[in-house]
Amino acid sequence: MNRQIAISLAAVLALSASEVSYAHSLKKQGEAVQVADSNMTVTPSRDWNRLSGKVGKQTESWTLDGEQLNDVTFFGGIEPGKPLVKERSKKHDPLPKFTETTLLVEVPELLEGTYRTYKELAAFTLGASAPAKFLGRDGVRFAYEFTDRDGLTRKGEAYAVIVDKRLYMTAFDAPRLYYYDRAIAEFRALTDSARL
Amino acid sequence: MIAKPIVLGLGLAALALGSPTLAAPAPLPAPYKGVYQPQGVDEIGMWREDDESERRLAASPLVLRDEKLTSYVKGVLCEAVGNDRCNAARVYILREPSFNATMSPNGTMRVYTGLLLRVRSEAELAAVLGHEFGHFEHRHGVNGFKSARGATDVLAWAQVLASMSSSYDVRRSYQNLELSVYGSFFRYKRDQEREADLTGLGYLNASQLQPQAASAVWKNLMGEAEASARVRGLKKPNFNAIAFTASHPPDGERATYLSELALPEGASRGDGADRYRAALKPWLPQFLEEQIKLNDFGGSDYLIERLAEDGWTPELWFARGELFRTRGNQRDLANAADFYTKAIEANSNLAPAYRGLGLSLLKLGRTADGQKALRTYLQLSPAASDAGMIKLMVPGGTAQ
Repeated sequence: MNRQIAISLAAVLALSASEVSYAHSLKKQGEAVQVADSNMTVTPSRDWNRLSGKVGKQTESWTLDGEQLNDVTFFGGIEPGKPLVKERSKKHDPLPKFTETTLLVEVPELLEGTYRTYKELAAFTLGASAPAKFLGRDGVRFAYEFTDRDGLTRKGEAYAVIVDKRLYMTAFDAPRLYYYDRAIAEFRALTDSARL
Repeated sequence: MIAKPIVLGLGLAALALGSPTLAAPAPLPAPYKGVYQPQGVDEIGMWREDDESERRLAASPLVLRDEKLTSYVKGVLCEAVGNDRCNAARVYILREPSFNATMSPNGTMRVYTGLLLRVRSEAELAAVLGHEFGHFEHRHGVNGFKSARGATDVLAWAQVLASMSSSYDVRRSYQNLELSVYGSFFRYKRDQEREADLTGLGYLNASQLQPQAASAVWKNLMGEAEASARVRGLKKPNFNAIAFTASHPPDGERATYLSELALPEGASRGDGADRYRAALKPWLPQFLEEQIKLNDFGGSDYLIERLAEDGWTPELWFARGELFRTRGNQRDLANAADFYTKAIEANSNLAPAYRGLGLSLLKLGRTADGQKALRTYLQLSPAASDAGMIKLMVPGGTAQ
C-alpha cells in the first residue's frame, strides 16, 4: 500500500514538474528578455506576467491583471505567407496572411481581418494610424476598438514594422472602461524598450 | 426523397414524422391566442433568465442602434405574422456577421446583420422571421429544454445502473442506449425546426408577400456555401446529408419542402425587393465591409455578385475591389485595380476607392499611377484616419 502511495506521489510530482515549463511566468522589472521566439527583446519597466498559452507560432502574450483585462501580444517576425495567429483550421477557417507585398499601411487591415475572422466579429473599428518609430525603424502606430462576444468593448493600440520582409508588432488590448487607460502607458513603455 | 404512402391530414403531422414530401401548401396559422404567460416552474425560470438576458442585450454595444432600420425589420415581421402576433416581439438588430436570427421564449427577437446582408427582399426576410416566430408560438424553447433534460436524466440514471454491474454486456447496452437517446434528441430538434418552417410558411402564405421566397433563402445559402468551399479547395458540401448531431434539417431538404409548401397563387405577389434595398442602402457598404474582412473569398464574392444582379453600384464595385486586394495575389491586384476604376467611373467622389486603387497599383509596380490615385484620395479625404501613412507614400508628403 505504502509503495502504491509512493508511486502515485511520484507520478503527481512528475506531472507537476513537467507542468512548470507551461506555467505563467514572471517577467521582472529591468531585466531584458527575448520575446516570441525571436530576436526581439524588451526590458519591462515594471513586473509583468507572461501567459503560458500561445496564440500563434511566433507570438507571446503578457498581462498585468489577466488575459481578458490587459493583453499585450508580441509578434516576433511573422514570415510572408503566414497568418498572425494559429489558424483553427487551415482549410475551413483560413486567416488572412501577411505577404511579401503587404504594405505597412495595410498592416492595420491585416490585424482587423485577423480579429474579425478569428473571433467572428462584426463590431470592429480601426482608428487613426500614423507613422511611428518601432524597433528603431520607421513603422506604424494604430488604434482600434472592438466589441467581443462577451459584449465588452475593448480598445487597442499596436505598433508594427517590417524588417527583412518579416512583420514585427506589439499589440495591446483591454476593456475600454478603466483597464485600457490604466495600462496603456505601461504598454507604450514596453514597446519603446523593444530592440532587435 | 422517399414519399410516404400515408399523408396525414395536416402537413404539420407529416413533417413531424420526418416526411418532407407534401402536396398541399402550408396551412394558415391558427387564430392567435394572445400574449401568453409562462406556465410551470421550467417556463417561469426560463422567462426570468430571458428577461435578464434581454436587459443586458438592450444595453449591449453589439446592438445596432438605428431606430429606422429596426422599425423597418419589425414592420416586415408584422407584415408576415400579422399585427396581433407581432406585438409579442421586440426586435434587436445585432452586429454579428453570420446568417442568423433567434427568438427566445419571452419574445426577444435577435436579427443578425449577417442575415440582413444575405436576404434580398422583404419576402425572404419575412420567411426567416416568420420561422423564428414559429418557434416562439410553439414554445419550442421550453419544450427543447425539457427534452434535453429528459434525455440527460435517462442517461444519468442508466449510467448509475450500468456502473453497478460489472458485465461488459450491460456497459455495451448503455452505450447503445446513449446513442439512441441522443439520436432521438437531435431528431426532436430537427422536427422542431421543420415545424417552425411550416408555421413560418403558413404566415407567409397568408401574407401579402411571395411565399416562394422561403425556398430561395435556402437556395442562396447553398450557393454561398458552395462558392465558399470551391475557393477554399474543399469538397462540395452535401446539402442532403444529416449529421448525427445536426440540430437543423439539411438545407437541400428545406429548400425542397418549402418550395412545395408555398401557395402556388402566391407566386404572383410582390416580394418587396425594392423596398428592402432602399431600407438597407445606408448600411450596405458597412455590412459588405464586415463580410469581406471575414476572409471568406468565395462566399463574399458570391454575395457581391448576387447583389449586383440588380445592377452594379459604385459601392459594389468598391467592395469587390477590396475583396480582391485583400487576397492580394498579383492577378487579384490587377482585378482589384479594375474594379476600383469602375467604382470611380460611377462615382468620382468615392474617396476609399482611390485609396484601394492607389495601393493596388503601387503593388503592381505602377508607382506613378498609384501615387496619383493616392493624392486624389488625400484631396478628397484630407482628414482620413490613415492620412499620415498615405502621405509617406506620396512624393512631397503633402495632400497638394
